[in-house]
Amino acid sequence: MTGHAATRRTEPLAVTGIGLVTPAGLGTRATWDRVCAGVPTAAADPELAGLPVPFSCRVPGFDPRVHVGVRQAWRLDRATQFAITAAREAVADAGLDPLSWDGRRVAVVMGSAAGGVTTYESQHSRLLRTGPRSVSPLTLPAFLPNMAAGQTAIALDARGPALHTSTACASGATALIVAAMLLREGACDIAVAGGTDAMVTPLCVTAFSQMGALSGRAAEPAAASRPFDADRDGFVIAEGAGVLVLERAGQAAARRAPVHALFVGHGSTTDAHDPVAPHPEGRGLREAFLRALATAGAGPADVDHINAHGTSTPLNDAREAGVLRRLFGARPPTVTSTKGVIGHPMGAAGSIEAALTALTVSHQLAPPTANFRRPDSGTGGLDLVTGGVHKHPVRLALSASAGFGGHNTVLAFRPPESSIPVPF
Amino acid sequence: MEAVSQYLVTLLADKFDVDPDAVKPGSTLAELELDSLAVVELFVTVREQWGVELDDSDSAADLTVEDVARLVADQLPDDSGPVEATDPGTPR
Repeated sequence: MTGHAATRRTEPLAVTGIGLVTPAGLGTRATWDRVCAGVPTAAADPELAGLPVPFSCRVPGFDPRVHVGVRQAWRLDRATQFAITAAREAVADAGLDPLSWDGRRVAVVMGSAAGGVTTYESQHSRLLRTGPRSVSPLTLPAFLPNMAAGQTAIALDARGPALHTSTACASGATALIVAAMLLREGACDIAVAGGTDAMVTPLCVTAFSQMGALSGRAAEPAAASRPFDADRDGFVIAEGAGVLVLERAGQAAARRAPVHALFVGHGSTTDAHDPVAPHPEGRGLREAFLRALATAGAGPADVDHINAHGTSTPLNDAREAGVLRRLFGARPPTVTSTKGVIGHPMGAAGSIEAALTALTVSHQLAPPTANFRRPDSGTGGLDLVTGGVHKHPVRLALSASAGFGGHNTVLAFRPPESSIPVPF
Repeated sequence: MEAVSQYLVTLLADKFDVDPDAVKPGSTLAELELDSLAVVELFVTVREQWGVELDDSDSAADLTVEDVARLVADQLPDDSGPVEATDPGTPR
């Protein structure tokens, strides 16, 4: 018995709210507009000056004192600040009010690859520089990885399960899968789920650089993240958060909530091959696609668009393109990697890209892959969206993510069936 | 002493969200609604900013703003200012 054949078709869930804090902009609308414009966000980063890779994709204009309040700003790591900000936007977008909902029926699931690494790194530097009495007493509650979920629950008065997921760069997508399981189990009626990371730190960037994972195009950062392009040479590190509000479709319809998209299936597998290198044939990723399709009650021919993991590394993009060619070759869907604009926001990538995929089916618009000029022998044969947005019928769209440890996730989205208009 | 007092009012407002009008010389840190972690964070920030020693023991919350200012000022040479400008933002 194959794994995907044994997978049950799942009950659709409604995406009723989206919140985004990304290098492309503060908020869902700003992010969507820049992603559709295909304008890269990578730029020189003063905090990384003097390091081998001195550029990144930063969230513009984020002021924690404004977004989480003065009293909370110094108590929360940057990743948690992003999570709370995105979650509040998603909840408001869903037309929900934490002051009036039954918090016992609300779950929070937040993925993160590194937790509060900004705090961890800076406080360790303080310890070495000026001694133990200069270390903040908030260090531990700021850097524990579960705090993005815990603090978001506090901010929203969400008193159902609050869980942290960690599958490296697939963490945000894994959070959405766990949230779907909680909803289908009846453990909650509303799930606020996604991912966050703020890993643009000197140590993290240096460590990735030492692995050879980052692009070295310091002279032209805007051209550095170039998914599937022949001249790609690594990813560009980014930061941010993406949060969705998920509800059972029947409940969303009953309260006449505007629905961006239906979350209709998911696949989650592991390569069991290597901690950092993808399986050469994409064994686990292929299986994740098949499971996502099976749970969505669909086949490869039904897929109209794919938001690829597309990190801009030589290995990932060739492996992923090979999987897509073999699975969808007969009728290739359009493919986009939004990392050309946003860079790679680590554990937030899966949920940010899930949000962008939900918007793709909502608007029937596929955003372009920035900086793509020509494929190489490994990345050819895809119907990559380039130049500008591509308008075409998107009845089923998939969002793929992968992470160190061999994790693979694929999420499936369909357009909403209701005619209730979404805000934009 | 005056410079330290002014610094404390600004720090309490900017980092700990205390209404500047509520900060009186005789206000205790507890009365200004600083919890135990906030008191320790306040002292960490002041120590680093002024290069002084402060004891953040359990009774520190009962100190008044004036008490803290005096503890700092008593350790300073005349007319000295902060040793470095630290970011009173997140725990970094």
